[in-house]
Amino acid sequence: MKRHRVRIIAATGIVLAFAILVSIMHLGNAPDPSDSTRYLSRALEETGASNRVAGVYLNYRLLDTLLEVLVFSVAVLGVRHYLQQSEGMELPDLSESEVVRTAVVFLSPLALLLCAFFAILGHISPGGGFAAGVIAASGLLYVAIAHGMGAIEAQLNPGRMARTEETILLALLIFALSPIAFGKLPLSDLLAKGTPGRLLSGGSILVYNILIALKVFVGAWAVIAVFAQHRGEL
Amino acid sequence: MGGYRCIRATPGGTLVAAVIAFILFGIGVLALVLRRDLVIKLLALGLVNAATILFLVSIGDRPGAKAPIQLPGEVAILADPLPHALVLSAIVVNFAILALALVFVMILVERYHTTDSTRIEQEMDRETDEEETPCL
Repeated sequence: MKRHRVRIIAATGIVLAFAILVSIMHLGNAPDPSDSTRYLSRALEETGASNRVAGVYLNYRLLDTLLEVLVFSVAVLGVRHYLQQSEGMELPDLSESEVVRTAVVFLSPLALLLCAFFAILGHISPGGGFAAGVIAASGLLYVAIAHGMGAIEAQLNPGRMARTEETILLALLIFALSPIAFGKLPLSDLLAKGTPGRLLSGGSILVYNILIALKVFVGAWAVIAVFAQHRGEL
Repeated sequence: MGGYRCIRATPGGTLVAAVIAFILFGIGVLALVLRRDLVIKLLALGLVNAATILFLVSIGDRPGAKAPIQLPGEVAILADPLPHALVLSAIVVNFAILALALVFVMILVERYHTTDSTRIEQEMDRETDEEETPCL
């Protein structure tokens, strides 16, 4: 009973702390760091990306984003490691209805097309690598729901997918460090800024978006595949 | 790119978003601490994350601002892109935490056949007691 009371007090404390944070940010003197004004006034010239958010997380704060990709990789590694140790269930191969199988023929290519759109145009319109990767993985999930996991695993070997994921992560890190070879600081922009609003603008952001989209696609698919294998079927 | 204008915030809308974020956060934290079911706890963690994201988006906003996507030569009040970039980290970290935590819950359920955290603790205590008894 005492433990229960301690929990209630702790929960109320956390909620009150959040309430104070909300009121400080909204009602009091909200802090306006000079960085934010810089991102608003000069980001377009400094990054060349019309999408300011992409400019912040793939140029000014690229280190944060790279570590974020590492966090994602560690999570995928952990899920794979722990679920492969425990035994999966054996369920019969369930085939979905004709309606689902017909809908997937339209939905999956659409998902892959949206992935390409968000990854390639992430620096000039809403989108970006993370969203693109998740959309492509969900496109593959539709196929798995309609035709079963076996159909996808016959095409995409899980072991090869794991190696592909590690290769993309390595390529991302090498690309981030490659400016050293050209006498620049690591993580700095290697490609030309270009005219903002054009496809070839924003420097390296386009390359990072495509690499992150591939990485998140393979990683998210690995998580889905391991959960599906463990359960027997989707 | 006139289409993005429809996302323009209404004056006072950010405060409403912050209040909603606070309510969601409160529900999430209370459920996280008080409910005993591990799956409900994970859902509550997701709710806390959603509240945090809503809060970050709301502090990035300013009256009359539009989404931070600007073409050269276009003059407009833009939302602060920095909290929007932080939201991305929040989403990815939440995905990582939820996926790993779900795996741990699955392992616990396989071993103890329940999602009730108190019962799992009792079972674990009993197991340690049984291990210690032969030594005495």
